[in-house]
Amino acid sequence: MSQQVLWEVVKGNNAFLVKRNGLTLSTDPFNNTGVQTYSSTGFISKNAVGVVSTSGKVNQINNINLVTKKSTKFQQADRKTKNTQSVYASTLAVKHGVHTASRVIRKRFGTSRVGLQRAALRKLVKLNRANAVRRRNELAAAKAQKK
Amino acid sequence: MTSVPLVSVFSADDSSKVTAKHIPLPAVFQTPIRPDIVSFVHTNIAKNRRQAHAVNPQAGMQHSAESWGTGRAVARIPRVSGSGTHRSGQAAFGNQCRKGRMSLPIKVWRRWHRRVNIKQKRHAAATAVAATGIVPLVLARGHRISQVPQIPLVVEDKIESYEKTTDALNFLKRFGAFEDVQKVVSTKVVRAGISKQRGKKYRVRKGPLVVYFNENAKLLKAFRNVPGVEVVNVTRLNLLQLAPGGQLGRFVIWTQSAFAHLDKLFGTYRYSSIIKDGYQLLRPLITNPDLARIINSNQVQEKVQPAKTTKVLHEVQKKNPLKNTKAMDRLNPYAKKQRAAAAAAIKANTKGTKKIKKNKALKKASRAAYNKVAASLNDATKAAVQEEQDIKVKYFSVQKGAAQTE
Repeated sequence: MSQQVLWEVVKGNNAFLVKRNGLTLSTDPFNNTGVQTYSSTGFISKNAVGVVSTSGKVNQINNINLVTKKSTKFQQADRKTKNTQSVYASTLAVKHGVHTASRVIRKRFGTSRVGLQRAALRKLVKLNRANAVRRRNELAAAKAQKK
Repeated sequence: MTSVPLVSVFSADDSSKVTAKHIPLPAVFQTPIRPDIVSFVHTNIAKNRRQAHAVNPQAGMQHSAESWGTGRAVARIPRVSGSGTHRSGQAAFGNQCRKGRMSLPIKVWRRWHRRVNIKQKRHAAATAVAATGIVPLVLARGHRISQVPQIPLVVEDKIESYEKTTDALNFLKRFGAFEDVQKVVSTKVVRAGISKQRGKKYRVRKGPLVVYFNENAKLLKAFRNVPGVEVVNVTRLNLLQLAPGGQLGRFVIWTQSAFAHLDKLFGTYRYSSIIKDGYQLLRPLITNPDLARIINSNQVQEKVQPAKTTKVLHEVQKKNPLKNTKAMDRLNPYAKKQRAAAAAAIKANTKGTKKIKKNKALKKASRAAYNKVAASLNDATKAAVQEEQDIKVKYFSVQKGAAQTE
């Protein structure tokens, strides 16, 4: 469905819209800037990558998930990989560093949509840094406990 | 649309199994999305469930109040007659008065209901059905569909024979619709305001809408008690359910026969509807609304002029070309040659140069002569001044001597 048409329907009111203090923000997982604008609203576009922080499982070092938008033209979710695929998105856990994740982002956007690409990368880096702090604290706490 | 999109029908027992692989999508789902029509129709149709109410026509008027007129140092509002009570002499009847009747009291014959043109109602319903097949719209409405295998979700008719709520619940869980039900349950809130004393205690969200076809279906009772879930027959699709609050994109679960019935119900772009007499689906103003794709297409790009580069017209600081040779050369590339030619002309004019040299030499000589004269004059004046000084000294010393002698 055309992004323009969807935007006309969705811009006035949608589940992700948050209006506070004169700001128009969005909790859309595909939106990396946080502000609701036509280009940054990823859930209405065909091609989007959301960088999402999750309450991670033990194996996952980074609590970051990459949520990449799939073409929603009557595609079925892959039932085998139930947790990572849905009708509209496939989720990739960012496990070790940000390298593979940034490659995914870069490949997605290519040479076009540089602004969106930068927004996604920026968020990825920031979340990664936040996670580094958290991990450091956890390690320190674990060490302290051992003693 | 040259290629018709295809949809799979899922088995009721196992969400990974598909009973019918590729069913063509009914034409309703390709109706243009018209939020303006839906909004208009919804605001009017939503008024049709209202019950008449009114204010007691005698309220505030059950007095024999009369105005005291002028001359009594009180406002001219009608005042309650009689005496022996606080109420007597108090203002009455007016909307501004305490215990007075309201202005324009509500009458029972207020126009509670709105009629909407049938065609508009049908277009709105068609658009609403189309919107249920568009994932971003369903997401935007707030349904939790991350586990749902397909949108639009079509399931075999077996669910129409469900009688037990447990069957219904398990079915919803299997198809990832339970997340939406959970949302409904967790966001059930006691309503703010008086309505809670008038039978509307809770505010409950809308969950999935289950659409069936066969009239004998028992699934109504099975799904009835599941919070948020509504059940409706295809032939009685309701805009208030398809687009609650005027917001497009309800999460709908179709049974196979209901899904198949949609073509008969709304018609296609090839034939008009069989059931809705003479109704033809709305045609889009633009068949391909994807502007980005149109602009980037070969046909357009071939005809279009090359993109203008954002060129800076001049430097941040403007240089005056009359004074700055480089700036001049940028504007007029021939200026360089012009300047060179002028210089060459001056040089070529050798007469001119000799004259200048001669004048220079003359100037120098005259200056030297002047300096010489000036120097001699200087000396002369210096000598004269010195002489004067000597005379003065002599004179005064003589005088002093004279004074001394006296």
